[in-house]
Amino acid sequence: MIEFKDVSVTYSSTGVDALHDINLKINDGDFVFVVGESGAGKSTLIKLLQKEIDATSGQIDVNGFNLTKMRRGKIPNLRRTIGVVFQDYRLIPTMTVYENVAFVMRCVDAPKKYIKTRVPYVIGLVGLSDKADCLPEQLSGGEQQRVALARALVNDPKLIIADEPTANVDPALTYGIFELLKGINACGTTVIVVTHDLNNVVHFGGRIIRLDKGNITIDQVFGGAEG
Amino acid sequence: MRITTCTSLVGQGVKGVWKNRMMSFASFCIMLVSLLLVGLTVLLAINLDKAIESMEQKNEIIVIIKDEVDDAAMQKLGDDIGKLSNVSSAVFFSRDEAWADMVEDMSEKEKELFHYADGKNPLPDTYRVQVKDIEIMTETTVQISAFEIVESVESPDEYADVLINIRNILTLVLVAIVLALTGVMLIIISNTTRASVFARRKEINIMRYVGATNTFIRIPFFVEGMLVGVLSGTAAFFLTKFVYEGLYNVLTEDVNVLAMLGINSLYEFSYISKIVLLSYIIAGAFIGAVGTTISTKKYCRV
Repeated sequence: MIEFKDVSVTYSSTGVDALHDINLKINDGDFVFVVGESGAGKSTLIKLLQKEIDATSGQIDVNGFNLTKMRRGKIPNLRRTIGVVFQDYRLIPTMTVYENVAFVMRCVDAPKKYIKTRVPYVIGLVGLSDKADCLPEQLSGGEQQRVALARALVNDPKLIIADEPTANVDPALTYGIFELLKGINACGTTVIVVTHDLNNVVHFGGRIIRLDKGNITIDQVFGGAEG
Repeated sequence: MRITTCTSLVGQGVKGVWKNRMMSFASFCIMLVSLLLVGLTVLLAINLDKAIESMEQKNEIIVIIKDEVDDAAMQKLGDDIGKLSNVSSAVFFSRDEAWADMVEDMSEKEKELFHYADGKNPLPDTYRVQVKDIEIMTETTVQISAFEIVESVESPDEYADVLINIRNILTLVLVAIVLALTGVMLIIISNTTRASVFARRKEINIMRYVGATNTFIRIPFFVEGMLVGVLSGTAAFFLTKFVYEGLYNVLTEDVNVLAMLGINSLYEFSYISKIVLLSYIIAGAFIGAVGTTISTKKYCRV
């Protein structure tokens, strides 16, 4: 579960007020779209969830961790419960698809045997079994984003944060990415999708949180064309 | 952390040295020269110390007593000298004993020559005084000279003073060299690590996001820095061995310069080689580790 209580963020270096008294609760297994214009506070929200930055005031709880009181040494424990999908994929160009996915398992000291069985399974889930030995440069944008998704999934996180997952993907493939995210959510994983792509938000429906100049202006559940 | 993970991280560190070979080589060279300078200065200092120590063992002041002084006064002089704080012993050496020693060492011709001079003993009564601390030998000499029945005092204090001054200056120079070069080495190693961190910035970024610990992220860089340090230390050892043994041979074998200077003992390299090698390796590894820690603390923080 994610809970924000009166959370504000002011960047001391620039003096910019990024978020004002945000109160927010996302339950386990929710699928949430966070939308907003550039500068609305979406990136700040993501950074707070991963404890990349600290809130200026207020309290944040993520997956059972109280981020306000958390020591730096405990941050890896929090991040192991979160999978992140980046807009620019952030795949390691010198590693194959398999290696990119296995790499994050090695980072959390997973047993070799488990890596050998888990990685092919997750690559299969995103439909890239036949591309496991390809380098990222040999893949299309949509395929690279699927690898990024597999990488976010492989450590079995409680929460997946997808930051503009379709921004660099062909519109024809966007649908597939969202379908995958919906599928992951159906298995019980909380999914937060940060996007400015309102068409897809409207199409898929679900809970939508709209940020505007650091404030939540909409927090509603929409039906969507998918039903 | 699993042993296999640990081995893999160490392996990454070793590979990192090769991957960043230009920067690693630059660090290696700078560390080699720095360690060599520090090492040779330390060796010079400890040898000088040994020379001074050997002089301290022969730290004899000869106190020449005026003629026609009675036994009681001489005895009192011995007691007074013995009471001086820097004196460890004062042994009386009579003119007769000195003469007997001298005659024993004389050749027949010399004995004949002295026979013509009426065979009179020209030598004075003396005290042979051992001092505790050669550094204040001059003060002790002055104190002894002040006694009324003392004719003169012979001591190697001027020579000792020169050696002590050299040692003191060398100690200061050594401290300055060690501080300056340690700073340089830390900066260089730190920059090499920065280059490595930059080359692997994508991986590090991913590691941070998926929950890798600081230790996990830093170990390869740590190994890389330490390895460069250890290699530099090992190379510095062999160069030191070459330079030291060369100098030792020149100073002791061809013309015994040391004996001319009154120094009869220097450390042979074989005697100090283990401690020199260990010191170089530990210093190299330590500098490598600290330099890497500084750099990774800044750039690899989760």
